[in-house]
Amino acid sequence: MIVRRATDYQKDLEQIILESLKEFQVPVRGRTVLLKANLVGLDPLNVMNTHPAVIAAARECFLQLGAAQVFIGDGPAMDRDTEAILESVKLRQFIGPLQHNFRDLNLDDVVRVPLPTRASRLKELYLPKTVLGVDFLVSVAKLKTHHWAGVTLSLKNMFGIVPGGCYGWPKNVLHWAGIDNSILDINAVARPDFAIIDGIVGMEGNGPIQGTPKPAGVLIFGDDPVAVDATGCRVMGLRPERVNYLARAGTLLGNLETKKIHQVGEKLESVRSSFSVLPAFSKLVE
Amino acid sequence: MVEPQGISAEYSFVRDLCVPFLLGAQNRDGGWGFETNSDSRVEPSCWAMRALWNCPIPVSSEALKSGVDYLLQAQLKDGSWPANAGGAGSWVTSLACSILASEKEYQREVQAAVEWLCDDYPRDSTLWRRMLQKLRSGEPVDNHDGSFRGWGWTPHTSSWVEPTAFAIQALRDCPSAWRPAESAARLDLATGLLYDRMCPGGGWNCGNPMVYGVAGEPLVLPTGWALLALHDCPDGERKTKSLNWLLNHFAKISSVASLAVARITLESYGRELPRSHRTLHEMFDARALSITTEVVAWTCLALSPKRHWFPKTEIAN
Repeated sequence: MIVRRATDYQKDLEQIILESLKEFQVPVRGRTVLLKANLVGLDPLNVMNTHPAVIAAARECFLQLGAAQVFIGDGPAMDRDTEAILESVKLRQFIGPLQHNFRDLNLDDVVRVPLPTRASRLKELYLPKTVLGVDFLVSVAKLKTHHWAGVTLSLKNMFGIVPGGCYGWPKNVLHWAGIDNSILDINAVARPDFAIIDGIVGMEGNGPIQGTPKPAGVLIFGDDPVAVDATGCRVMGLRPERVNYLARAGTLLGNLETKKIHQVGEKLESVRSSFSVLPAFSKLVE
Repeated sequence: MVEPQGISAEYSFVRDLCVPFLLGAQNRDGGWGFETNSDSRVEPSCWAMRALWNCPIPVSSEALKSGVDYLLQAQLKDGSWPANAGGAGSWVTSLACSILASEKEYQREVQAAVEWLCDDYPRDSTLWRRMLQKLRSGEPVDNHDGSFRGWGWTPHTSSWVEPTAFAIQALRDCPSAWRPAESAARLDLATGLLYDRMCPGGGWNCGNPMVYGVAGEPLVLPTGWALLALHDCPDGERKTKSLNWLLNHFAKISSVASLAVARITLESYGRELPRSHRTLHEMFDARALSITTEVVAWTCLALSPKRHWFPKTEIAN
């Protein structure tokens, strides 16, 4: 786990990300990488989505580390017009032409995947071939509160791999199966190999769409998405063990407890913020 | 805009790009995938067929016939269509139903589909859930009127704007003799649901006009589908509000899909198109993402002046 201070989207992003990836010795040389960004909706101010500067810098770093191909992908949940979302965040201006670099996971060919964890009542999901076919899957999430799940970080970000082309916009079948349970099922079959959280400017309150921008000035990195999310919560001033799905993920998918997480970089105390949450989640506040 | 030969640029675009793309993207099984060389799916197949049927360029009847054959073989035993091979029935049933409803020889298939649609009640508005909602304390998540019912993306989930709009259109496209008796009541409930889910300032998003007291932002595609579905319905004031939102938003549209659907919608209401920073085919040429079947089909439909939005029923009842 690495927590790095990053005060804005202009300075030294590539350097910060590259140094962090090198510390983990991410095994990407000659391999295909998918950066699963969090692209939720039209967002000209770049508050609800992973900032394109972070996506672009991460892509460049994985290429510098020898990745054969680095795709960016997402399947936005509430709006099927992915091009409109990408144009609103100006991703093209940061990445260049997207035709061969971006995958709309909502429209990808799909494969039936049984769900062995059975956390939800869903026995199977159809998931994109792109996600299942890459060598190295990276969740590039945003540091946000969520009005139904408490927080949305690298694990919740994986909701976006479930294709709208099969399940609609939104992917309502997951809500009926239980958001917390679905998060566990999805991450059990498509666990990110690495997670990056864009917490330079996060979102508090009624997230993930209608919340308020909250500058936190951090980037969080790690190869255990549960530990990364737990750290994200602590940066937000929230208790991860009280986030329902994270508490259970800590027994299934990774480490939640501080004593089991080896963290370098900034000390948590020095970057801790105080994110406001909806009243229903007041129990999360430290 | 007229080329020297007297052929409009839009006609040329349909002839030289849209139609060749759609014909070239058809798979051997007669269906279309979202992208060229991808697996056939019901949704892009329906949009492709609708575009080819309506375009001003003569298209081989063989392509359309094999498209229909693909749809017929993809129908499930319960009358529905799946969004992907191996899946269960879903909202694409409405799209397939609209495609087949114009041919009398598919009466059996269409009736089975319409019965499936009319039997599919979303779970969010059952009496039991409405009672639970009333008993719940604290600020309500939304301001939905639970007495209305539309359709979900998948069965036994919640009502959403787009699948409800497609189902309304499918029921309207069917000859009345093919519809079950309860379809009239379902149409009323679904129409009511669309108006209930309209955003406060006009227009629609996926179906959340208000979340925790905060107004949701409308989006072009759901607004277009909803307005097209409500085309023949009364209530001018709310429709006018939504049309005005679309007119005011038109110049800001930044994607091909939204511009095409907005144009189809506004033209179907006889509204003059506002100026946009780029024409549809200019935007298409400069688009950010690789070409997908449904976007080409919507573009083709938008640029086909004599389109019928949904194929007109020509069957004597």
